Parts: sequence; structure tokens; C-alpha cells
Amino acid sequence: MRISGRALFALFVAGVAGYAIFAARAWPVKAALFPMVMAIPLVVLALVALVVELRAAPVEATPVAGRVGITFAWMGAFVLLVLLIGFPLTVPVWVFAHLVFDGAVGWLRAALLAGAGWALFHGLFERLLRFPFEAGLVQTWLGY
Amino acid sequence: MLDALIASLFLLLQWKALSLMLVGMALGFVVGLLPGIGGAATLALMLPFIFAMTPVEAFAFLLGMHSVAATTGDITSILFGVPGEGLSAATVVDGHPMAKRGEAGRALGAALMSSLVGALIGAAVLALSIPLVRPLVLTFGSPELFMVTVIGIACIASLSGSGTRAQIKGFAMGLLGLLLATIGQERQSGTLRFDFGMIYLWEGLDLIPVLVGIFAIPEIIDLAVRRSAIAGSRPAAELGADVWEGVKDTFRHFWLVVRCSAVGVLVGILPGAGGGVAQWMAYAHAVQSAKDAKDREGFGHGDVRGVLGPGSANNSKEGGDLIPTIAFGVPGSGAMAILLGAFLIMGLHPGPDMLTKHLAVTYSMVWTLVLANVITVLLCFAFLKHLAKVTRVPGNIILPFIILLVFIGSYTANRQIADLLVTLGFGAIGYLMVRYGWPRAPLVLGFVLGKLAETYLFISVARYGFSWLAQPLVLFLIALALTVIAYPYIQERRRAD
Repeated sequence: MRISGRALFALFVAGVAGYAIFAARAWPVKAALFPMVMAIPLVVLALVALVVELRAAPVEATPVAGRVGITFAWMGAFVLLVLLIGFPLTVPVWVFAHLVFDGAVGWLRAALLAGAGWALFHGLFERLLRFPFEAGLVQTWLGY
Repeated sequence: MLDALIASLFLLLQWKALSLMLVGMALGFVVGLLPGIGGAATLALMLPFIFAMTPVEAFAFLLGMHSVAATTGDITSILFGVPGEGLSAATVVDGHPMAKRGEAGRALGAALMSSLVGALIGAAVLALSIPLVRPLVLTFGSPELFMVTVIGIACIASLSGSGTRAQIKGFAMGLLGLLLATIGQERQSGTLRFDFGMIYLWEGLDLIPVLVGIFAIPEIIDLAVRRSAIAGSRPAAELGADVWEGVKDTFRHFWLVVRCSAVGVLVGILPGAGGGVAQWMAYAHAVQSAKDAKDREGFGHGDVRGVLGPGSANNSKEGGDLIPTIAFGVPGSGAMAILLGAFLIMGLHPGPDMLTKHLAVTYSMVWTLVLANVITVLLCFAFLKHLAKVTRVPGNIILPFIILLVFIGSYTANRQIADLLVTLGFGAIGYLMVRYGWPRAPLVLGFVLGKLAETYLFISVARYGFSWLAQPLVLFLIALALTVIAYPYIQERRRAD
């Protein structure tokens, strides 16, 4: 039997609730009461939802998984870049790369847009609001 | 009293106070558009600048900024599906689908006009009720406040959609939200819950990364998959053309706007509940106000009433929020706690003095709420047609900038890289929820209310045992919560008959 994504998500919710019950057993009553009171009916409801989804007619999925994966990969790359080189450098680099490689925008136009994005970011957060952004790991290693 | 009201207006209209209010409004406008940096954080950032100001100037500056941030937060919620503030997430649910349908102008018109009506109602209640509200606030102890959170949780019944399957999923998501709120150090015993050995989780999950992930990332994915502009291929001329229609919608559903404003004021008055709660309760009330299950079907898919309800509540809340802050020095929210700091910097003591000796300052706050909102909404209307056209920018160009907005917003809330991962993780969960038909609103409502509910429940049990359950006001609130849960079913039964 092939389990649908809908049923798997219900199973995931039941799993989260099950883990909550398991973890809460080790805590004092004061700390465990509220999570237990929430997690027990959640397991029941998620399992009911699982049964409902297993019995339901299969829904035809739209073939978008590749595009979804690529978009998540771009967002993951953004987070990784922030970690490595910090926000102020990530903004122009990542926007430029995204516009060129994912958006198929020309190099010059992409550079202008990325520059505008950086100017807005720098002017608003760093100059006007004086918001402190942490340096990336690379800058820290280099001693900046 | 009337003399003080008029005198305070003239104090506010002096060039220095007025200029500072306009500067504050400009800051609030920008801050409102950015997720993460909320009104409270900006108030804290701007507090050092008020030392050289008079009390009227200081509150014109701070309140001008704060009240406008709540209004403009709706703009990014509608245009991009990215909540501009934690307070404006409920506007995403129906506002963004309207923008995708090419009705961005109408949604923006409705959001701004209802915000203005809400702000005016909030200011009026503030002006009239300060002397009267003392008994109400003092009547609400921890058992009653716990029951208010229960009523909020009961709204899940309305936010889940119709049918048994939707209700099961809705209540499951509400419980999951409540469970997520328990992450972090438990306040009574100090036990660390679900921290997985990470210091980051000791304080629990922050609302902004969770909200932005759950609501904005699925919209980003949708935009990336469609590879078109947000409003599809609708002609640019059409997009801003129906702003006036949104204004008319506010008056077509005027009583709904008034009722949702009242919800905002009431939640604002009660300490600790916060604007997010007011918005979701108002949204749930808007859903409940539908005539029957068929009339309710449009909610979540771009029903203008889903924009009007939260729009009016998040601005009326500001007036309500100020009442206990001014009258007793009891801040109703984080932003009001910071504003309390401004009182002390100015050498003012909240309480009876604010109603006698400093009445002009108190009324200048009322006028600031009124003037700041009127000016913002009028200015916004001048640019709405152009704002709506943002939804025509090709998807491949606007997409990286929306992603940027999302992640900068998540980061600026706490300056933690881990918040970016939380946004991404909850983005994936939000995407799966949309794909597999699990409602997101109940999860957010549960998450917003979870900590409050647990804290008030613990204090109630510690102070009164279980005898608080028999208190008359608690019994009334229990009945109200049951009515809120039962109402959608009663409606459906009536329709079936």
C-alpha cells in the first residue's frame, strides 16, 4: 500500500505528540502537566486524521517537487552564506546570484538590482536604524 | 474635560510636537513594512531620543511611530504574504489571496480604512473610559485572564473550516501550537522542556520566525512554482482601480468593523494578551459572523471580511492598550511596558495624576492616535494604486527581494542566526500544511496563547486551588467559550434544517 503525503503528515504530527508525551514523563508534574494535557488529545486527533487520510481517495499531486526543492535550496544557501560571510555581504552576493541563475536576468540588470537592494539594506538598517549585524565565520577567522 | 481635550489638541499642533509626530510616523511606516522589527523594538530603540523633549512631544513622537507601524504592517501582509508585524499575520490569510486574484487595491483599501475606523474607535474609548475602566481591570484576576485565553483557543473552532475532517485537523493544529509554546524553560519549576540541549531553545521559540516561516515561505514557494507575478497576468491598470471598493467594503460591513474594533479594545485593556491575540480573535469573529457554512467558505480564499476584522482590531487595540498603562501603570503589552519607561523618563507617574494634573498629556495621546492614523491612511491612499502595482513585478525579479525581506525580518527580531533556521523549518512545515490541507491559523493562535494560558492556569491553581472554577465571572466566561465552540455547529445545523 502506498501512503500518501497527507497521511505521512498526519503521522508526523502524531509522532511529534508521541515524543512530547515520552519526554514529559521525566519532568516534575508542574512542568509536565500542560504539555501532557495538550499532547494526549493531539495524538488521538492526529491518529484519527491519519485513518481519515488513509481511507480518503488519493489526490493527484501536481508535479512541482523539483521547483519546490530548488527554492528551498536557494533559501538554505542564503542562511549558509549569512553564517559564513554575514548579512551585509550576503545581501548583494545572493540577490545577484539568484537573479542571474534562478531568475535568468541579465548580468548587468542583476548587478544593478543587487546594488539597489544592498543600498536599501545598508541605508535603512546600518545607517538609519544602526542595527548591529554579526560578522560571518569567515570574517571572524580572518580577524575582522 | 472638554477644555483639556481642546487644549491638548493645540499642544499637539504646535510645530515642534507636530514635526516630531511626523518624524515618528515616517519611522513607524518603514518599521511596519519590515517583518521582525516590531513597534515594541522600535520604541525601545527610540527611547534615548526623548530626553530633550517635553511630555507632549515625546508621546507624539513615540505613539505616532507605534500606531502607524500597526497600520502599515498590513501592506506587506497583503502584497507579499509576509506579515509586516507579528500583529498583522491574520491579514495574510485573506488579504494575500485577494492580491493574487488581482484585488490588491481593494484589499489595501479595506485594510487601511478599517484600520482607521478601528484606531478612531480605540482613541474614543480611551478618551471616554479611563475613569470607568478601573473596576473592569481590577475584576480580571488570573482565573478570568486564563478564561480569556481559553475563549481565544475556542476560536479555533471557527478558524478550522467546516466539516468534521477540517475540525479534526484544526483542533490538532491548535493543540500543536499550544504544545510548541511549551518549548523552553518552564517558569514555575525551572525545568527545561524540549530544549534538545540547545541554549537557543531555553527562551522558547520566538513568534516572528515561526509566523514568517509558516505564512510567508509557502507564498514564496507558490510564487517560485508559478514563475509569474503575484497577481498573475492581470492588467496593471486593474490592480489599483478598486481601492475605493475596499473603502466601501468597510462601510458595507460597518458593524463587523465596529465589533472587531471592540474585540481589539477589550483584548488591549486586558494585560498580557497582546495584539496578535486581538487580531486572531477578531478574525475568528469575522468568520463566525458569516451567515452559514456556505457564506464561510470564502474565508481563507480572499474574503474581504477576513481583512476588515483583523485590520480594525490591530489599531483599536492601541487605544485599549493605553488605558491600563495610563490609568494604573499596568502595561497591557511589551510595547506598553517600554512606553511606561517613557513615562518615567518624563517624570510622569501613571495613575490618578494622569487624569487630573496631567490630563492634557493624556488627551494629547488620544489626539496623536487620531491624527497619526488619519494622516497615514490619507497618505497611503495617495500611493495605493502604485503600491498595488508591485504585484505585477515579474516573479523572477521580486522573488529574491521577498526572500530577503523574510530572512532579514526573522533575524532582526532577536539577532540570532538560529532564527533563520527556525524560519526555514517552519516554512517547510507551513508549506506541507498548505499542500495537505491543514489550517495554519489555529496553530498560530495556539502558539500565541500557549504561554499565557499556562502561566495564568498555574497562578490560578496556586492561589485558589480549583475553587476559582466556581467564580461567577469565570462561569460566565466558560459559558462564552462553550458558545464560541458550539456556534459554527449550531449554524451548520440550522442551515441543514
